[in-house]
Amino acid sequence: MSVRTTLNGTSALNRRGLLKTAGAAAALLAAPRLATRRASAGNPIEIVHWSWLAASDGEIWARMIADFNEAHKDKGVQIKMEVVPEEQYVTKVLAAVATGKAPDFGWGTAGKGAQLARDEVVIPLDDLVAKAGLDIADFSASSIAASRYPKYDNKMFMIPMDLMSLQPEINLDHVKEAGLDAANPPADGATLLEWAKAMTKRDGDKVTRSGIMMTGSGVQPTVTWGIVAEQMGFKRASDDLKTACVNPEAGKQAMQWVLDLFDKHKVSTRDVTDRYKAFGTGQGSIFWTGPWTLNGYVGQKLPFKTALFPKIGDKHVTYFEGGGLELYQQSDTGRYEATMQAVKWLSDNSFLWTTVGRGASPRKSILERPDYKTTGNSWDVRGAFVDGMDFASVGEIPVVNGPNFTIYSGGNFLAKTLEGVWSGQTSIDAAMTQIQTQWQADLDEG
Amino acid sequence: MSAAAHSVDDARGRTPREIDKAGYVLVAFFAIPFFLFNIMPVLFGFYVAFTRWSIVGSPKWEGLRNFTRAFNDQWVAVAFKNILLYGLIIVPCVTVLGLLFALFVNKRYPLSGLARTLFFAPTVVSATVIGLVWVWLLDTQFGLVNHYLSFFGIDNIPWLTSTRWSLVGVSIASVWWDLGLAFVLFLAALQDIPGEINDAAIVDGANRWQRFRYVILPHLRPVISMVVTLQLISTLRIFSQVYVMTNGGPASSSSSPIHYIYSMAIVRNLFGYASAIAILLFALILAITFAQRFLLKERV
Amino acid sequence: MPQWLERELEERRLNRLDLLIWPVGLAVATLWALPFVWMVSTSFKFPADVMTQDIEWLPSRVTFDNYIKVFEYPVVRWGINSLIQATLATFFCVLFGAMAGYALARMHFPGRNLLFVIFLASLMIPVEVSVIPLLLAFVKVGWASSYQALILPAIGNVFSVYIFRQFFLTFPAELEDAAKMDGAGPFNLFFRIALPLARAPAIAASVIIFTLNWNSFLWPLLVTFDESMKTLPVGVAAFTPVVGTRTQIEGYSVAMAAVTILSIPSLLLFCFLQRYFIQGISQGSIKQ
Repeated sequence: MSVRTTLNGTSALNRRGLLKTAGAAAALLAAPRLATRRASAGNPIEIVHWSWLAASDGEIWARMIADFNEAHKDKGVQIKMEVVPEEQYVTKVLAAVATGKAPDFGWGTAGKGAQLARDEVVIPLDDLVAKAGLDIADFSASSIAASRYPKYDNKMFMIPMDLMSLQPEINLDHVKEAGLDAANPPADGATLLEWAKAMTKRDGDKVTRSGIMMTGSGVQPTVTWGIVAEQMGFKRASDDLKTACVNPEAGKQAMQWVLDLFDKHKVSTRDVTDRYKAFGTGQGSIFWTGPWTLNGYVGQKLPFKTALFPKIGDKHVTYFEGGGLELYQQSDTGRYEATMQAVKWLSDNSFLWTTVGRGASPRKSILERPDYKTTGNSWDVRGAFVDGMDFASVGEIPVVNGPNFTIYSGGNFLAKTLEGVWSGQTSIDAAMTQIQTQWQADLDEG
Repeated sequence: MSAAAHSVDDARGRTPREIDKAGYVLVAFFAIPFFLFNIMPVLFGFYVAFTRWSIVGSPKWEGLRNFTRAFNDQWVAVAFKNILLYGLIIVPCVTVLGLLFALFVNKRYPLSGLARTLFFAPTVVSATVIGLVWVWLLDTQFGLVNHYLSFFGIDNIPWLTSTRWSLVGVSIASVWWDLGLAFVLFLAALQDIPGEINDAAIVDGANRWQRFRYVILPHLRPVISMVVTLQLISTLRIFSQVYVMTNGGPASSSSSPIHYIYSMAIVRNLFGYASAIAILLFALILAITFAQRFLLKERV
Repeated sequence: MPQWLERELEERRLNRLDLLIWPVGLAVATLWALPFVWMVSTSFKFPADVMTQDIEWLPSRVTFDNYIKVFEYPVVRWGINSLIQATLATFFCVLFGAMAGYALARMHFPGRNLLFVIFLASLMIPVEVSVIPLLLAFVKVGWASSYQALILPAIGNVFSVYIFRQFFLTFPAELEDAAKMDGAGPFNLFFRIALPLARAPAIAASVIIFTLNWNSFLWPLLVTFDESMKTLPVGVAAFTPVVGTRTQIEGYSVAMAAVTILSIPSLLLFCFLQRYFIQGISQGSIKQ
């Protein structure tokens, strides 16, 4: 292990050296900058921000940026936002950093940026935070912890902006139709299945309306497995990030649980292409998803409420995703402070973002505001996403090959391996062996 | 034909001629952007295949490690197996249907001009259109295709959402999209057949099948071989329709090497590894092209 | 069989069996067009009328809302970008391709055959390999997300060289000889004599390359960094269920409106210049 750390250390150093050279070379190029226009005397500083938020939450974020620009009209700082598709976001950031033309800050996901931290594409923020006077004590401890990378000096690489979890959204028309009590949504596995069975519609043996919204492949069954497995006592990686697949039996049990939804209980169909659209058009009754869907469904007047994720296993947990802002490596390090000031303003003023936008606020002072519950969408649909943060703990594994561990993914190693199980091509045991082998190799790599 | 042959000989410079220096200038306008933007990046990509590189920093030499990794990666194997299946479905369908459609349009039927337009039109639309229109047509529950199949008592087929069918679903859209090229090539070749030959065959009392078998088919042989080659190469490189219709899923059942290259490069930022798989694909395309030319003994 | 039908068959060189084949063939042709019909039909439907168990080929209620919604996105800007990109790239590709094709066919210089072989062999390389190095190069010189980035890599399309080479191989030498007699230099010869006579391959190459450029997807997807520089296929791709995020709210009817807008230019171009498409493809590939 010690050899590995040393190796990592040296390679990081080399990279740093190279980056500096690359940066210097880029600075020599007189060619116009890719967007970043450096501040010259008298001109306002333009801070370049990249975002991949594209759905309805993207519009609220655009309002946040507009508000910032309005408030800083006369203060010589403006933010220029550019929307980059999520799938190519990291590639584009890497390309921009490698050529010394990175945006100043952008959106990141807690735990997903280990590779970026290793290569110093994102910069450690602890010192800048202190200098800018951002009050770290006002953030929830878990949100700060999730922004750190234990393998990289345990430094903070992201300022948390919102906290998200998966919670079940329930179609109220279907609840009424089945004669269930919407005020008492299912809290455990048995009740959940009861509800699902009561709301499922079948044509003979075929499910035509899923009690539990599922897809035959992609994100939904993968993330469901991830949550249920952790609830049953499975762990993707031990706390010290050394051993993969703690308690594999629980993981297998969870695979069976997901399979049973399709084949034994027959409360879900695999034949759904687009789960968001399917739930929006009433093809499913219970759909665990994230707060980013709220504005869309409320906008289309879907009758639904959100409940807390039921406790199916022994541990009450659900998926966690932390959204936040990260700063990218600049050749002109003088820009960091101005950027951090802007990020501080956005965090301090994130009331709009965490009420009307998406997710729960990581800031205690915002959560405590009396109007926090009454602003934005109704508490019926939004509340579970705020209260449910207490037990949302299944997040990313902060290692370089972290993408292989992500449970909220439609096409990564994990999703593809599990898809073999859902389609009956791979046995549960074989899948677990494959997962264990791959993940152990990933952890060993660091 | 003889004029062409003559000028080819001429151009080959059998007779000693002066060197046209101006030729270099005329070629340069095309060759410079071509080498700069089309060849150099490929050469760099070949180099990257032997390194570990995630854009930031310079590539680190790793020898053949990416290649050994590719040979041990089950998803690479799946992707390569898939393009062979794609080839087995798409190439015969495109060739046979393209030929049938061309034979139809070549007759002087009323409205054959319209039919020609309709058969070729899909070829000119973009992959984005395929992604939206065909995903919608092949939707399991609300798709048009399943709706009409149900009239024949066929149960809903999960075209794009099951490991059994996704490759077939993507292939159907591909045939629709790709067929125009083969169709036009066949049509042009048919129109090249001198009318007299056909007329003579009719006078000799040859029936439709005999005329096709003994007059038309021999004439079409070179075109058929070309269509098969072109379609095979393009199928081996299948990407856009996979990307927009299924993104390779479920469980990689509709993925292709280029789709896997894309996801390794863009989604995972493993550029060395992605380039190594690209080289394997290039080798396969090369091998198949040569094997085919050898088997068909045709100059394409 | 009535007399007029006999006569008609005679005139068209058809026989009785064709009376059966004809409707079947037309039916298949119609089937081939149905995806387009469905696309346009759905684009005029209310979102609520889209996912229905009954198939409505003609919408019972028509709305233009979907198109209005599409235009809330910078579709016009995307369209202009696509137009600039496709037009300029096609122009340079065809012009330079004609020059190179002429030189390769009519002029004699060492390395000529090697060049041609390299051009042809490049068709076999999976270009996707080159995309990342190319992206880095463009970012490095500060041309990411610019028209240069969209246009320059599209100029080196070998198809145009190929089609002109084929054309000039059969070009009558007498014309050249006469001009040479008058003392015309090689450039004069090309621009004054050869190029004006190459109208047919020029149009054929233009329409085909324009369509390719108009539809080009992967490279513009990677090299455009902001909404204002996207091309139409890239912008519209955000409406697809697999790649995009927008259908979640908008639904298929809006998406179909978006792809209808995207398809119209290339389909129109094709309908009016069909002859050249077909000529171009057959000339470019058959006549060896």
